[in-house]
Amino acid sequence: MNETDKYNCLIFGIGNSGRQDDGLGWAFLEALESNLFKNIHLEYRFQLQIEDAELISKYNKVIFVDAFKKELINGFKYETCQSSNTYSFSTHALVPETVLYLSENLYHRTPKAHILAIQGYEWELQNGLTSQATENLKNALSFLKNTVLLKEF
Amino acid sequence: MSQKLVIDPVTRVEGHGKVTIHLDENNKVVDSFFHIVEFRGFERFIQGHPYWEAPVMVQRLCGICPVSHHLAAAKAIDQIVGLNPEDLSLPAQKIRKLLHFGQMFQSHALHFFYLASPDLLFGVDAPPSKRNVVGVAIEHPELAKKGILMRKFGQELIRTIAGKRIHGISAIPGGVHKKVTVKDRDYFLDSKEIPSIDAMINWAKEIIDFMKNYHEIHHQWLDTFAVYPSGHLGLVNKKNGFLELYDGNLRATDFEGNITLNDVPDVDYLHYFKEGVEKWSYLKFPYLSHLGREKGWNRVGPLARINICDGIETPLAEKERLIFKSRTQGKINNKTMYSHWARLIEMLYCAEMMKKLFHDDAILSNDLLRKGTRRNEGIGIIEAPRGTLIHHYEVDDKDRITRCNLIVSTTHNNEPMNQAVKWVANNVINGKAEITEGMLNQVEVAIRAYDPCLSCATHALGEMPLQISLIDHQGNLIDERNR
Repeated sequence: MNETDKYNCLIFGIGNSGRQDDGLGWAFLEALESNLFKNIHLEYRFQLQIEDAELISKYNKVIFVDAFKKELINGFKYETCQSSNTYSFSTHALVPETVLYLSENLYHRTPKAHILAIQGYEWELQNGLTSQATENLKNALSFLKNTVLLKEF
Repeated sequence: MSQKLVIDPVTRVEGHGKVTIHLDENNKVVDSFFHIVEFRGFERFIQGHPYWEAPVMVQRLCGICPVSHHLAAAKAIDQIVGLNPEDLSLPAQKIRKLLHFGQMFQSHALHFFYLASPDLLFGVDAPPSKRNVVGVAIEHPELAKKGILMRKFGQELIRTIAGKRIHGISAIPGGVHKKVTVKDRDYFLDSKEIPSIDAMINWAKEIIDFMKNYHEIHHQWLDTFAVYPSGHLGLVNKKNGFLELYDGNLRATDFEGNITLNDVPDVDYLHYFKEGVEKWSYLKFPYLSHLGREKGWNRVGPLARINICDGIETPLAEKERLIFKSRTQGKINNKTMYSHWARLIEMLYCAEMMKKLFHDDAILSNDLLRKGTRRNEGIGIIEAPRGTLIHHYEVDDKDRITRCNLIVSTTHNNEPMNQAVKWVANNVINGKAEITEGMLNQVEVAIRAYDPCLSCATHALGEMPLQISLIDHQGNLIDERNR
């Protein structure tokens, strides 16, 4: 990565498109791919892992997009991600807060980080989003484009 | 009062498993089981699909070792299009091997740095809040950063060859679909964007030195913990009996090194193996049929592979193998905790082999595909990170898969892992007045040494934890630990 790239934005889409609404994170990235925003890098993930701390340390802004099981007003929420060393030690999968914490502690870099949670409804082994999740995706996309991406990038 | 211990879920393993330990009224261990409680059924739902979809579909079994399933299936499908492994073009064989070494390298790095090292660095009795990969990253940042970059190196190699780090595509029936470019190759050699392959070799040597030193300090524990006799199974090179990960003959020994399977062609596996079942687990129990269910089970994976091979073709890894073997005076090693050391020797071997292949211009060739005469059956066997992986397909004249049999590495290790649980139950927990968290973790430490992939083994999907339960002689649940 060259010097100018350091000011780019990284967006993670987290989930699995083979599990219905768990594919919201990936669907969000697919929608963004057609928009050709400059300086925005997209990464698809089944789950976040420790090496993602190294990756985010190279960016100034990071957005984690993931499906959310609980009820959300407007079907999505966009909030600041605070670093935290909370860790479920049963697997190597990490939450965004811990990835940010590791970036701070291992690489001494703390990008501005946000989480975009989009409400999903069905999680079975099946391709395709539910109609409600598709509507939430549309609203979340509109929000992020208009209030963040078009202003900053 | 007698009781039953339940560890559910077992932690820092791939997949969802459960341990139950039955105790009598004096806390004496009566019996113990390692249950695999997921079921997925890949062997069934792939039936009816065209055979060329198999290498793409079956890799969805796993997010850690999809390349292993991709390549094992591809080797089987090669046979269906009339090609044995040696019939493929040399460039195709070498590109597949390069992909395989990248996969082994990243998977072994994941296991050692993320899953196993917390037990070694902090001790099995350390609090769970510390005994995890984040704890390693905070207290051993330089080690953690190397672990991250070693895993990344393997993943980047997978991405380069297969297009994606997880669930990409390289192998197609009869070869591979694209070559490696000079630019691709230089990415791994020139240290401009990522540390080079030479750094990987040096770091692999460093971590082996760490492990040797660790063994010097902790030999009393490592030489006695979860030591039990077992068979050892794996592929060996067809020409010289050396360590072989991609294509070889099947060899097995008993716990003393006596040959129990004498370098037989891998495609003949059905003549030598049977699978047992137990009502308390979805995971089967493979065994050598001529030795029977009780005596015919084998460990697979790094420890087994280093045990059975006659040598390693790369100089640095061979030097380390000889040091490793000297710890048991050249005899078969049945000490479970030596699996970690063996795994690191394999990491070094993979790094050396990747370097060798990066400097082989065959990988830049366009000679990628061969054709043969159609058959109706194909068997592909490789050594996956966790051990011997068998894919077997039958197809009809309309190209549809009619039968699929998968025996994955963790399935071979089912009985060995149950033996490991029994060892800890009998030697650590048996008769103790109080069962501590550290004792329960030792059950997991023994299982973890096998790097089990329970999702692969049951071909299952979902959240991935492990459980321990404590049950009395009347079947009442007394205590349960969920991770």
